[in-house]
Parts: sequence; C-alpha cells; structure tokens
Amino acid sequence: MAKPEHYVIIGNGVAGGEAAYHLRQRDQASRITMVTVGRLLSINRYELPKLFTEPNLDWRDFLLNPPEYYADQEISVRRNTWVTNVEPTKRQLVLRHRETLSYDKLLIASGGGRHIPEILTQYRDLMMKFGTYEEARSVCNALPKGGHMVMLGGDMIGLDLARALVKGGFRVTVIGKDFLFWPHQLDPDEKESFAQVLRDMGVGVITDYGAASIAADDRGPAVRRIVLASGETLDADVLLSFCGLMPSLAFLAGAGVDLERGVLVDPHLQSTDKNIWAAGDVCQIWSPEEKQYRFYYGWGNVKRMGQIAAFNMTGGDESISTFQDERLVVTGSGEIDSPYWHYGGDSGG
Amino acid sequence: MKDIQEPVYLEDKLKEIEQSGKLAYRSQTLPTWCPGCGYFSIVEGVSKAMTELDLKQEETVCVSGIGCASRFPFFMNTYGFHSLHGRALPVATGIKIANDDLTVVVLGGDGDAFAIGGAHIPHAARRNVDITYVVFDNGVYGLTKGQTSPTSVLGFKTTTTPYLNMDEPLNPLMMLLSYGASWVGQAYAGEPHHLTDMIKQAIAHRGFSYLHVLSPCVTFDKTSKTYQNLGMAVRPLPATHDASNFAAAMAAAQEIDLPQLGVYFARERPTLCDGLTEITARAQGGSAGQRAAAG
Amino acid sequence: MTSNAKTDIQIAICGSAGDGTIAAGDILKQAMAKAGYNVIAFDVYPPEIRGFGKCVARARITSEQVYSLKGKSDCLISLDDSHAIPHVRELRKYGAAIYEDTPMSDMAEGMHISGHLEPGHLPYGVPMREMSERITSSGRSRNIVAVGYLAGLYDMPAAVFHEVIGEKFARKSPELGASVRSAFDAGFEAGAGSFRLHFDRIGAPGSAGRHVDLIMMSGNQALVRGCLDAGIDTFFGYPITPATTIMEMLAREMPKHGGRLLQTEDEISAISAAIGASYAGARAATATSGPGLALMSEMMGLGAMAEVPMVAFVSQRGGPSTGMPTKTEQSDLNLAVYGVAGDGQRIVLAPTNVEGCWKCAGKAFEMAERYQTPVIVLLDLYLSNRYEAVELPDENPFASDCSKWAERDSRARPYSRYRITDDGVSPRAIPGNPGNMHTVTGLEHNEQGRPNDQPATHQEMSAKRHRKLLPALHHPGITIEKRFGDAGKVDVGILGWGSTFGEILEAMFEAHKLGVSCAAMKVVMLSPLPVDPINAFMDDCDAVLVPELNYEGQFAALVTGATGRAVNRLNRVTGTPMNVHDIVTEICRLAGRTDSIAAE
Repeated sequence: MAKPEHYVIIGNGVAGGEAAYHLRQRDQASRITMVTVGRLLSINRYELPKLFTEPNLDWRDFLLNPPEYYADQEISVRRNTWVTNVEPTKRQLVLRHRETLSYDKLLIASGGGRHIPEILTQYRDLMMKFGTYEEARSVCNALPKGGHMVMLGGDMIGLDLARALVKGGFRVTVIGKDFLFWPHQLDPDEKESFAQVLRDMGVGVITDYGAASIAADDRGPAVRRIVLASGETLDADVLLSFCGLMPSLAFLAGAGVDLERGVLVDPHLQSTDKNIWAAGDVCQIWSPEEKQYRFYYGWGNVKRMGQIAAFNMTGGDESISTFQDERLVVTGSGEIDSPYWHYGGDSGG
Repeated sequence: MKDIQEPVYLEDKLKEIEQSGKLAYRSQTLPTWCPGCGYFSIVEGVSKAMTELDLKQEETVCVSGIGCASRFPFFMNTYGFHSLHGRALPVATGIKIANDDLTVVVLGGDGDAFAIGGAHIPHAARRNVDITYVVFDNGVYGLTKGQTSPTSVLGFKTTTTPYLNMDEPLNPLMMLLSYGASWVGQAYAGEPHHLTDMIKQAIAHRGFSYLHVLSPCVTFDKTSKTYQNLGMAVRPLPATHDASNFAAAMAAAQEIDLPQLGVYFARERPTLCDGLTEITARAQGGSAGQRAAAG
Repeated sequence: MTSNAKTDIQIAICGSAGDGTIAAGDILKQAMAKAGYNVIAFDVYPPEIRGFGKCVARARITSEQVYSLKGKSDCLISLDDSHAIPHVRELRKYGAAIYEDTPMSDMAEGMHISGHLEPGHLPYGVPMREMSERITSSGRSRNIVAVGYLAGLYDMPAAVFHEVIGEKFARKSPELGASVRSAFDAGFEAGAGSFRLHFDRIGAPGSAGRHVDLIMMSGNQALVRGCLDAGIDTFFGYPITPATTIMEMLAREMPKHGGRLLQTEDEISAISAAIGASYAGARAATATSGPGLALMSEMMGLGAMAEVPMVAFVSQRGGPSTGMPTKTEQSDLNLAVYGVAGDGQRIVLAPTNVEGCWKCAGKAFEMAERYQTPVIVLLDLYLSNRYEAVELPDENPFASDCSKWAERDSRARPYSRYRITDDGVSPRAIPGNPGNMHTVTGLEHNEQGRPNDQPATHQEMSAKRHRKLLPALHHPGITIEKRFGDAGKVDVGILGWGSTFGEILEAMFEAHKLGVSCAAMKVVMLSPLPVDPINAFMDDCDAVLVPELNYEGQFAALVTGATGRAVNRLNRVTGTPMNVHDIVTEICRLAGRTDSIAAE
C-alpha cells in the first residue's frame, strides 16, 4: 500500500473548499488539510450582504458545509493558522506558531485581500473591511438603521453589497472615479451609462472626483468624514474600500515559485513547481488567446478553478478553458447583472 | 534457736494492710493470675507506689493491651482502658494529650509490647509522652497457653516451637534506651520491695518511663525464666553506675544473661505535652517561654 | 456587561503542574464566586510530585444552582498542548479553545493543539508567552494572560479578578501582585477585543435575594470548618491521599483555638490515640482513606464494644488495596458499614455535597458523644477536592456537649458504666470524675464493665448496643435522607449516595426535559439505614436505579439486604466522577424510552 498522499490547501474560501471536496472524491485514502488564518470553516462570502436584510443570521448560516461534513470527509481544517514560509524543496510549510507541516501536493487558494489605492493607503485603518464574517458582522453592527455607507471604488463585490443595502433601506454612496465596476473593463461612456442605472436603483454614484482625505469623527467610532478632491465633504456612518482585490501571497516570498501580482500558473493551474498548484483569486492563469497571464474573478470561476486544480492534483489533465461572457449587462427589469454575481444553485459541496 | 520470729497474726496483718491505704487502689475483682505468678508482686507494688505518691484514684488511668498482664486494669480501682493487643501505648498517648493532669500507667506483657506492639514503642519513647510503661516480661504468651514471645530464650520449646525456638530474643532495655526513653529501669518480681520503689520512681519521673519487670510464668515456663534461675542471676546495678551516662546504660543493658536491677538511665527533657503547649502558644502569638519570661 | 441570559459555562484548563494550571483555575473560581455565581470546580492532579504531570482544572460557572460538572466543557484552555490534546474531545461543538500561539520552540507536525481541534471548535490562538514576557519579563504569567483572555472573551467582570489577585499576593508580595494584574489586564484586553463567535453568554449572577459573596470551599475545607465549629479538641492522623490536607489544615488551625494535633506513626496509632482521647472526654477525630480504614477496623470494634465515642473521616479513593491514590471511587462502603470483627455496628454518614461535608463533620462529634459509638463520615476524592460556592451560616449549629453524663460523684453507689437503659445509652463518666472509676474493655462485659461471657449477658449487651443507635435516625439538625424531583408515583427512581448524587440530580433534570417522570433520593446515613423512607420511596417507583462508583454495587446490596427488594445497578469504576449522560441513558432505558437517548 502506498503511503497516503497529503494534500494541503492554503485558504478555505470557495476555491479551496471546492478543491477539498473533489480531492476527497478522487482519493479516499489521502490526508487533506486546509490551512486558513480565519477562525471559521469555509464561509460563502458572496452571501454576506444578506446580513443587512436578515440580521438574525449568525455565522453558522453562512457555512458552505456544516462541521459534520469535515469530520465525515476527514478534511482537517486548521484555522487561526498563518503560514510564514513555503519550502518547496523539502515540501514543507512553516506555520507562524513554529510547527512544520509536510505536504505531497500543495494548493495555494489564499484568495485576495482588498486593494487600497496608493494615495489613500495612509487612511487604510479608517476603512472597515468586509472580507470575513466577523468583518461583515462588525460593519452591520456599526451601520445604524437607515444609515449611510460610503464605498470607495465600487468594484463588483461592493456593488453587490450596495444592491443589498439599498433593498434594506440603507443609503449608499459610491465614490467611483476609479475601480467602478472592477474587474469589468468599461470605456467612459459605458461606465457612465451603467452608473446611471445604479443611480436609478437608488445608489449614489460620484464619478467625477475621488477622495482626497478621510478623517475620523467623534459622532461614533465608525463615523467618517470624507473630503473629495473637489473640496466637497461627505459624512459616512461606515466607510469601506472596494477597489479590487490584491492576491494574498506574502508567505510565498522566497519560495522560488514564479509570482507576478499573483501566482503564475499554466492552464492546468500548476505553478512553476510541479507539486504546487493555485486556484481562485490568487492565481494568474496563462491565457493562450490573450498571450498574457490574467485573473479570473467571481464565484463561478473560482469554484471551477478549485475543481480543476483538484482534478489535476490527483492525476487529471484538465485545463481552464476561456471563460464565458464577461460582460456587464442590464436586465429587462432594469437591474445590472454580472457573471461575477452568479452564485448559489448546485455546487460541489 | 537463735532468731525466733515473732508470730504474725492474720488480723493484725489485715489491719496493717487496710491502714496502709493501698487497698483503696484495688478493685473488688480478684486477679485471675495463677498462684505464684510474679504479677501479684507487680499489682502490690503499683498499689503501694500509688499510695506513697498519694495519687488520686479518679485522676489515674491504667491502660493495657491484651494478655495476662493486660488484665491489670480490672484489678485496680482507678480508671482503666483494656484496649487491643499491642495498642496500649497510642491509646495512652491519646488519653494524656486529652488531659495532661491524669497520671497514666501503661501495663502489658512482653508479647503485647514487643511483638505486635513493637512499632509504637519508638514513638512513645522518642516523643517523651509523660506516661509510665511497665512491661511484665515472662518470656512467653501465657493467656493463649504457652507460645514463644520476642523475649523467649533461644531453644525454648513451646506449643508452636515444639522442636526448638530459633529466634534470638531481643534486648528490651537496649531498645528502649536507643529509642530515647528518658527513664529506663529494671526490676524483678522476686524482689518486691525494690520493685515497689522502682515503680514509684518510674511514675514520679516526668517523661516516658520504662520499667522492665522480670516475672516468672509458673505455669508455662518451668525451665527458663523461673524463680530459681532468675533468683540466681539477678543482681543490682553497681553502686557506681551513673544513670546520666547513656553509654554506661547501654553497656549495662547488654548483660542480658545476668540481669542487673535498678535505674539504668534517667534524664529530664521536655515532654510531648510541653511541646503541644508550646505549639498552642506559638499559634496564639508568642511562645510559652517568652510568656513565662515575661512573667 | 451581563444580560438576562442564564449562565452555564464550564471551563477546563489543561497544563502541567509547573504551568500554574491549578492556580489559574483557582483565580477563576474564586473570582466568579465573589461575583455571586454558583461555581462547582474539581481539579485533577498528577500522582507524580515533580511538575511535569498533567493537571486539569475544571470549573462550571452558573447562575442557577447545579450539582455536578458537565461531561463536556464549553471552553478549553491549553497551557501545555501535549497535555491538552487528549482533552480536545471534551470540548463541545462550537466550544472555544484558547491556546498558546507563541511557543518557545519549533515543533513537529501534530504537536500543536490547533491541528487537533474538531471542525466545530472555535480556535483562539493567543500569544500568551510573548505577552507574559513583555509585561512581566518572564513567561511565568502565561496562565494569568490566558485567564485574562478568557475573562475578556466571555465578558466576565474584571473587577472581581483584580480583587482576587490582589488578595492572593497582598501578604507575600504586592509587587508581584501588581505585575500579575497587568498580565491579566493585557489578556483581558485582547480577549475583549476578539470577535464573539461563541454562543455562551455570561448572564446575571444569581437568583434575586441571594447573598453575593459566596465562598469557594472544597469538601475537605468544609469538613475542617465543621470540625472547628464543633470544637474539636484533639486530632490524630497519618498522611494518606486524599485525606492529608484535612490534617494539614487542622494542624494550622487547631492550635489557635487550643486544640492539639499529633501526626502518628501509622493509622492504627491514630485511631488508638483518638479513642484514648475520647475516653478521656475530648472531642477527637482522625482522617484517612480506604487502606487506613482497613487498618483501623479492629479499633472500630473496640469502640463499638467499649462504647467509646470516635470520629473517623474517610475519603475514598480507587481500590482495592493501594488502588489508585489520586482517583475517585465509592468502594469503601462495605468496609465502613460492615468492616469489623463481630456485630460491631456503628454510625456511618455520607455527605453528598460540600456543605454536607461541613454539616456531617460537626454532627459526627455530636452523634459519637450522644450514642457513645464510632462514627465514620465517608467522603471520596472527588468530593474532598470539589469546590463549590457555599454559604455557611454565621451561627454555629453544633452542640458543644451531647454526652449523657453520670452523676459526677456516685461514691454512694457503685457506678455501672454499661448500665442498661431504655434508650440503650448508659450514663458516661470520664477520668477525673470522682467515684466513677471503671475500666472499659473490648471483652464482653456486664453492666459494671467486668468481663463476662455468659449467654444472657452477651445477648442483652448486643441488643443494648444496637438499640441505642436507632435514635440516630432522628438526630436533630441533620437531614439523613431526602427526596427530590417528581412527587408521587414515578417511572424511575434513583437512589444514590455520596458525591455521585450531584450527577444523579443533573440526570434527573435531563430526564424531566425528556418527559420521563423521575425522582431521586439521597441517603446520607448509611448505618443505621433509614429503611422506612427507602421503602416508601421504592413503593413509588416502577423501577429503581442505583448508580455508584464501585464495581460490586455496594450500596445496592445494602439496600437490597435491608429491604429485600431488587434494584437496577449502574456501576462505574473509571476513577472519574459518574457521567451524567450514562445515568440519563439508563433512566431512559428503564422507562422504556430508548428513542430519547440523544447523543452527547
């Protein structure tokens, strides 16, 4: 009997969770360990905006799978655990609490954190986050009934949230000079026409000026006063930044795996190390059509990537095909729709 | 016809005995010992000693274990505790600790003391519990009808050693001296006046007093420690014996075949109850010595 | 801040003795008791003396009265992962694990507890060592940082922790106390800043109208307090786990009140001295465990025959023989009730909780004097070391003299120590009383105390010695049996004794939630046995269950022997307290409700 393979997945988002499911399906005897900095099991973060319309939910309602699933499938999820180094020659991870973890095959699915534009990085601590359940719940607790949320940037994740907030009776203003509708690439006229659709939905959208400075306010711990480049001021009950994602790969520095903004992988999602794959928001995939490495975002895409990585880690030979329509559209009922917004329905786990 | 003895009339003798007061210490129960048993001398000696020391009956407790000797308390008109084989010493310690105004006399045989009771002797002695321990040594278990005891001589034949006794006897005097007893003496039932005097000194001594009494068992030992043999062997400690000299006492104690009678060793040191009183004083703030000095 | 939510949180702290595991648990339980919560706590110690063995300090903090620890804890704190990892299973689903995030050295895979937590557990890695070193310049306050983190995470009131820490170090070292307090505060701040993912809440302390300032006491501490309240004069003992601490506490306290204590050379000497002191009129006691009681049985017989008062506290541990000195068990019932040569019945009391230890201790002296007999108070290691938040009355309820005394000077007529009376108790005299001289003896005797083995004598004296004990069943000021739960007819009745009764009550409450009609009866006096109330109870029950921590079903046999009625037994000898879930399962089975047995 061969020694069971140990698959280690860094990150327990949608990509990592999907990969874990498929790895178990295809290799019953293996050991599977997920490593994540968060305290919780995999959460469907695309559903977090529901907190604003259904405030009685708690984190258990957002779990992709209940605790029993991980016990039944023998998937170990090490939470609250940071990876400080990856050593591909020894096939080991070093964890921040000084434990070493050996792997046979490693999947980097650590996703991305929020990107903050350079001119605003000094204000990063004044912006609330929305990436985890705890952060989302904190935003929800900080936003009073009918309160005003200001979003810098206005990427699709932010707009998805804005949509939910408006439905919940809150006010939203997007300061969207740059990053509005990210990652969609739109020309200025397209952008303006879609921005108008947003305004018709009830979302305030500022496209002509960006934020110049941000200050805290003694009316409340989360309250902020934003000064635009025009000099106009905006008061926010909470302030968030939705200026796109930045891949989380600090722990890979020095590992010897090719990186650019993300982990560079081929269409099979394999990195330049034959035992390391990457999937999800963290990886840049070689696109033969575009002759460049590019990211693919959105729930559908990251889920597919997790599946393909798992297939290939267990001897499969699938590659990412060019993804479908990446266009932003307006539906018949006057709503904006994006392929990045599709989620729910059947899933692997 | 040189020494004509005056006739002794029974009535006079009885009156003398009554007037001596020692009968007050005797209970109405007649001893159950065999005629000729050395223990009769001991009970006589204890009664006389108590009379001469003017001890109050109600403040005297006789504690014993099990055995012929241990029947003693029933024959005394004092408080008594006929306890368990080998356990007289700790019972007596408890009594003394509860009420140190009581005079506690512990009595037992050689089996009760040195076989089953052996483990308690070192601690009663080293703690210097202010009690008097009188051991009646007849070298045999009488009450159960004649088995060997720890002081039986080598070769002694008994019901459980029908061929021979292979165990060396132990040396009680050396034991008690080495355990730190603050008064050690030896007497002989065949010399009742000396015995009485020894008992008196032992009781009077403040601290743990050990009196070893050689006493023949006329029923079960007809060969070894008889009146005849002992009568020829015993002798007093030399007049030059220094009872404060421990080494001399130990040396004298080794003469087990020619037993010497008298006070082997005597010294004063604080008793167990002195220590407990001191502990109480300290716990309540300040020591007894300090208090005494303060006046 | 407290809500109106009911509080029921159990914390288990695992580490080695050198990690300050027990000290951390101590601070936690003292603080929460001070804040007015009910606390039950039980620490498990290693048998080794050196500091590497595993300790587990468990405390259950509740707003309402509860009677036992839970099978699962709500929070697990690891001060040493190698010791804590086997206890991960004890943490319930959605429970929180608090552990070291900055260990001293590198470790191989699997050595850190984070890799062993179950998917349902919530992980809280805390840089305990780093924080301790930063604040106190040493890693030795890791345990305090952990307790602080726990308190912050669960919104416990920090002020009571400050008080407890202050008191702990006030006498010896106030600077150390200040540094410890800073370590606590740092942990508290970190914990308070953590997002609340768990669902346990600390609600308001107790029901309205209760005193806020409860004292945490262990069974042994309460027992010692009972002895002191009853005016114990003398104590003799020999060190033996788990009774040694009784002697140690009395050694410090008794001399302050003029009492006298002696450590003897063995248990036989201890009980012998106790009986001697009692004979001389002092209130005397000894404390031991099963092996010691076995040595004392001959003396118990003497006490019964000679009719001398004696008190022996016996804390049971795993047996037989040397057994398991640091594990709990209830297997010395037979020895306590029956263990003597001949018909030497004595009084045996078995408290069921910490307050009961206090009450039974004091009453033992009363009964020993009143009925002139040995009294054994049976505890066990769990009860001896179990802490509960108790409230003892300010007024001393124990009578200082319960003896039936003879006339102090009956020179006019001869004194009969063993005079046969209606209630079987003969008037007593002690050395010092003029005219009442007598000898007590272990031989059968007549009324004067003279040895006497005649047929009529032994028959009458045996009857007297047994008859005199029956009024103990109605001795004032102590509850010797009590029924709890549903009144009238029930499906299942549970008869229990000793510390297991806490688990029995919890099981009964669980059974009620499952809709099973259930009552429980505790029996505190095992000898003489209150047969009538037991029979009345059994009349009401379709099935009777006797759970106890021994293999042979000793109490079950006692009950069956006395009533002639069979019972169902639940016997466990795991060395740990009875598992509530096991009792519930058995209750349901007897009630014919196999559907109701939920997984734990």
